[in-house]
Amino acid sequence: MARVVVTGVGPVSSIGIGIAAFAEALRTGRSGISPITSFDPAGFPHRNAGEVQTFDPGAQLRRVDPAHWGRSSQFAASAARLAVADARLDLTSVTPGRAHAIMGTTSGESAVAEALTEQIIDGGFAAQDPALLTQLPANRLANAVSEELGLAGESLTIATACSASNYAIGYAYDLLAGGEADVVFAGGADSVCRWAHAGFYRLGALAKDACTPFDKDRAGILTGEGGAVLALETLEHATKRGATIYAELLGYGVNCDAIHPVTPDAPTVAECMRIAHRNSGISPSDVDYICAHGTGTQVNDLVESKAVLEVFGERPPPISSIKSMLGHTMGAACGFGAIASTIAIDRGFLPPTVNWTTEDPELGVDPVPNAARQANVRVVQNDGFAFGGNNAIVMLGAPE
Amino acid sequence: MSGVVVTGWSALTSAGVGVDALAKRLELAEAGQVEKGQEIGDLYEEPLPAANGHFLPSFSPREHLGRKGTSTYDRATGLAVVCCQEALREAGVELDDEVRPRIGVVLGTSLGSFKSTSDYTRETLVQEKPYLVNPMLFPNTVMNCAAGQVAIRFGLRGVNTTIAGGTLGFLNALRYAGNAIERGHVDVVVAGAVEEFTPHRAWSTHLTGATEVVAAGEAAGMFVLAKENTPEWAGTRRRAGVLAVATAYGPGGGDAAETALAGCVHRVLAKAGADASEVSTVYTGEADDGDRREYGPIVRALGHSPERVMVKRLFGECDAASGAVALGVLLAEDRDTRPGLSLLTARGADGAVGAAIVRRYADGGPDRG
Repeated sequence: MARVVVTGVGPVSSIGIGIAAFAEALRTGRSGISPITSFDPAGFPHRNAGEVQTFDPGAQLRRVDPAHWGRSSQFAASAARLAVADARLDLTSVTPGRAHAIMGTTSGESAVAEALTEQIIDGGFAAQDPALLTQLPANRLANAVSEELGLAGESLTIATACSASNYAIGYAYDLLAGGEADVVFAGGADSVCRWAHAGFYRLGALAKDACTPFDKDRAGILTGEGGAVLALETLEHATKRGATIYAELLGYGVNCDAIHPVTPDAPTVAECMRIAHRNSGISPSDVDYICAHGTGTQVNDLVESKAVLEVFGERPPPISSIKSMLGHTMGAACGFGAIASTIAIDRGFLPPTVNWTTEDPELGVDPVPNAARQANVRVVQNDGFAFGGNNAIVMLGAPE
Repeated sequence: MSGVVVTGWSALTSAGVGVDALAKRLELAEAGQVEKGQEIGDLYEEPLPAANGHFLPSFSPREHLGRKGTSTYDRATGLAVVCCQEALREAGVELDDEVRPRIGVVLGTSLGSFKSTSDYTRETLVQEKPYLVNPMLFPNTVMNCAAGQVAIRFGLRGVNTTIAGGTLGFLNALRYAGNAIERGHVDVVVAGAVEEFTPHRAWSTHLTGATEVVAAGEAAGMFVLAKENTPEWAGTRRRAGVLAVATAYGPGGGDAAETALAGCVHRVLAKAGADASEVSTVYTGEADDGDRREYGPIVRALGHSPERVMVKRLFGECDAASGAVALGVLLAEDRDTRPGLSLLTARGADGAVGAAIVRRYADGGPDRG
């Protein structure tokens, strides 16, 4: 089994584009939440989201023409391009068939689906623009990465909702550890859309102004968007080319609640943590920090805390939610979590849970409230849960 | 030998629910004919681009599953859950709480139910208030809805993965499932793909030119996959061996994609330890004799011209599910006189390609008890 390392990260987020801006935002606890502009929020009682309002696909993309690809694919390809640059990887030195693109998503090209729906409402089904229809399939997210970087390996889009990029990173781990790859670009992308905003509002799971995970008065998520890609390599490949190694990808665990479409199940989530630890060869006492799923809904944060206490005992490691800054970036969320975990290990600090005011005694966890904390971070657990009961947890460690 | 075995399977196609319906349709079909599909009639109120389509008339999940838990299913979810039930039954999988965490679900799709998603968006635009949507239907807008409901229905707690692969969807699912088994994440995967027949898919296939030769269709196909030496609870018969699966990408499409497809063929042969001359049949995603986008590179890679089967001619354009239909046809057809290996291939609109190599065991294979 080959060892797997992180050598580059590419965040395209509402709190910063590229590792320098993103890391600085995590350290200072910057919020990326703003009034919605990507659709008309008139009529909605809540009108905030984590949009990447400064996103300019032309700034990163060299081969993918934004005119022919949807917003989520543009996020994916831009994030991959940033990850290559951060890894200082010369793609011409990589055997094309041994470099893969594995992307996760919740709603794929949701903005394209919404534009087509407006055409259907206005002019009937026949009025849909065929060029827009070709942008609709969700497999285009991984394909955009393959096109942008000229990769000839597997091009796979995993659509397991809000844990999708942990699934993607996990599959990438298997490809690398099992000797089927030298390099994998793995992560996820999603776009803010009207239907998710409406759906979460109707579920009573959408906050009004700010997302406040682990707070007693937490009121729900804010939808967010972006692209998050990690450059993963075998240790051998990275060492041979003299790459800077940020972190080691230790392993992952996945399972399924198989109980309810939207309500998470604490015992299954706890079991997923144990699977992830076992597959990574670590024990709970090794974990220094948990990058939470931490959506900020009453039920998620309670279930996640319960599972953490069940697995780690009464004094679990600090657990913070970067969704307090980014909002819920859906299929990109675990990718951003993995990038934040990598930065925590590399730069020696825990990202904070911002907007925190009131302790919830029912939770019993330390959410790293409001201010980043200096720490020697050796092992991180990056949580991901999803509709459909799709749990996926990735473990990262300091390079040795 | 690497790869996994199929201990049982089922398919829901325009021929009906289950293996027997599919086999009967194949028996009656003339070789190579294009089946135009049933008259759609009043299945939907919305105008459709064609009078015919390949769909399951009067399909009702309740008829197969009962009322409980089915009221929010969209069509794709209903097809997937019923298909999984049939596949588990056909394989003879004995479900209990010991084995449920060891069984995964891997499902290929293009984008889940475009109808569910689009109808939800529509509600936000046409209702008096944009938030007057049905919260119970919100999970249907997410692409993993069908796989999640399959897991809930049968209590399958292993890896649960939805793959958005378009025409590659089924081969992507097979590849991913094989890895999950090989790496020990689970012992068994119910792997397959599903696409529904709705006005949304009928129009999107029509407007993108996918139905020039064949009509739009729907289908689900699911296959119970396990290691060769899997425990008895996973089913005791072997219907086929999926010896190897490879997918790849040809940036820019065109020649690069053809080279990538030929590369996949070489790789699956090598992984299976098979010789090109052993491949007697190839099941492609093409629909027209003159279309050689897949067959051309395959013939060049193999060095000979195996028989080509184009399942879309009988069962319509089922996108991600067409690959699952192809494996179903491979397993259902009365082909005992033609031994050898088969290839399943797919090629996407961008540069994605893939191939699987399958050995069918005649008469359902040796009893492994």
